[in-house]
Amino acid sequence: MTYDTDLSFNYYGPTKVIYGVDSSKDVEIEMGSIGGTRAVVVTDQGIIKAGLTDHIIKALGNKCVGVFSDVPQDTGVEVVDACADFARKGGADTVISIGGGSVIDTAKGVCILLTEGGSLRDYSGVQLLSRPQTPHIAIPTTAGTGSEVTNAAVIMDKEMGQKRLMVENYNIPRIGILDPKLTAKLPPLLTAGTGMDAMTHAVEAIHAIPHEPITDGLAMHAIRLLSRYLPVCVAKGDDLAARGQVQIAATMAGWAFSIAGVGNVHALAHSIGAVAHVPHGIANGILLAACMEFNLETCPESYALVAEAFGVREKGMDDMEAARAAIDAVKEFTKKIGHPQRLSEMNVTEDDIVKAADLSLGDGAIVNNPRVVLDASEVLEIYRKVL
Amino acid sequence: MGKIKAMTQEWMDAYKAAIEADPEYKEIAKNWEGSVALIVNPDPDKGVPEPVYLFMDYWHGDVGEFVVCDKAKAESAKFVMTGDYARWKQVALKELDSTKALLQGKLKMKGDLPYVVRNIKVVNKVIDILGRVDTLWPDEA
Ligand SMILES: [Fe+2]
Repeated sequence: MTYDTDLSFNYYGPTKVIYGVDSSKDVEIEMGSIGGTRAVVVTDQGIIKAGLTDHIIKALGNKCVGVFSDVPQDTGVEVVDACADFARKGGADTVISIGGGSVIDTAKGVCILLTEGGSLRDYSGVQLLSRPQTPHIAIPTTAGTGSEVTNAAVIMDKEMGQKRLMVENYNIPRIGILDPKLTAKLPPLLTAGTGMDAMTHAVEAIHAIPHEPITDGLAMHAIRLLSRYLPVCVAKGDDLAARGQVQIAATMAGWAFSIAGVGNVHALAHSIGAVAHVPHGIANGILLAACMEFNLETCPESYALVAEAFGVREKGMDDMEAARAAIDAVKEFTKKIGHPQRLSEMNVTEDDIVKAADLSLGDGAIVNNPRVVLDASEVLEIYRKVL
Repeated sequence: MGKIKAMTQEWMDAYKAAIEADPEYKEIAKNWEGSVALIVNPDPDKGVPEPVYLFMDYWHGDVGEFVVCDKAKAESAKFVMTGDYARWKQVALKELDSTKALLQGKLKMKGDLPYVVRNIKVVNKVIDILGRVDTLWPDEA
């Protein structure tokens, strides 16, 4: 991989990351370190039932002013508005999210509304904010989205019929707490799907147009860790060492794509998610190899890095041969972890992919794809390969 | 014709004329609907003592009102983009890619992102044309 002489980038990853088994018990100390005194906890019913919030709420004691647990699998503008009302009534000065991407993204929206007021509908745009937002401590219970360290949030807008991408450097969580125990009970399919979200962030951070040496480094090590430890987590969920490495990989991939961006895989995954409710990670996992094939001629040197990280670049291979090996490695990997292979397994129909193909052209991720996507028919062809 | 002072009405007129004269613009922008405002944050050291508000109306390949305006009019546009003077100059000179600038927070954009993404060719085209306007920048005056 060579970089242009006119390479220029801004690397900005301000989140303090706390890692360790039982580190989530330190939440109250960490909140104090950023001046927080009154926290609203944002989570969902499943997380509460799984018993992942009790010890955190207990550690917060009377500094927890309320628990909002009505976040659905795909959060929406109205959920964020309701949660912000709830937080305002409790007088919260800190938002603590405990959950997967949907919960953390809800909390990101809430941080904006607590600082700026109004409804999330008033914040349609990119990098609109001009000052730091309400402090947010993110405690992920899946290892995939990397949302604990990113400037992005994806929130469904039912009126628009599309997932809305928010990108705000002033709204990156202050602290991310990675406690492997919180992901130990994830069932194999969810482990595989969320893990493929992380893998896709890493691969896409490498092929995205704004990629640079720092993000490439983060993404490549994320791929190494995922390729080694994600299969262990799928096979033996309570292996805390493996769970921890996958969490760290997800965070590293999050840092990478927060700067470098993502491309066609995410554009297609967001769109099929909006149309047919395919879980985000699984949509990425199904689409990744086919989207790499679409880009192959444009960026073999990027996929050669992916091959190196997977350990499949053999001596003497040129970039194109290595890139093909990377695509094969991704396909093999998804089979190894028992990941769904086709969209039809997720009840997606031909009608769905036609609608999603059109939506993809308006997805914020598509502008960073290495190969220019000219029209919906090209996207439809990718979807058809994996239907 | 000599250089035209940036961000003046004369400059806006020249920009509009350059877009109208472009043979490809009409076709590329045939689906674009809506006004765009550019807000230039002041930078007294570079000869921009006050914020500048520019309003441009684009409609299905035609160009309408192109004016230096007040804050209220700028904020009424369908898309409002805000940035420091130095950043706008970099965009105009194509030293800074507008998409990258947005994602890095060097420019702010209020408006429907999916719409802009769908029409990114139009955005790139009008920036390209702006580069053809022979401009006298305030910090070079
Ligand atoms: Fe993702």
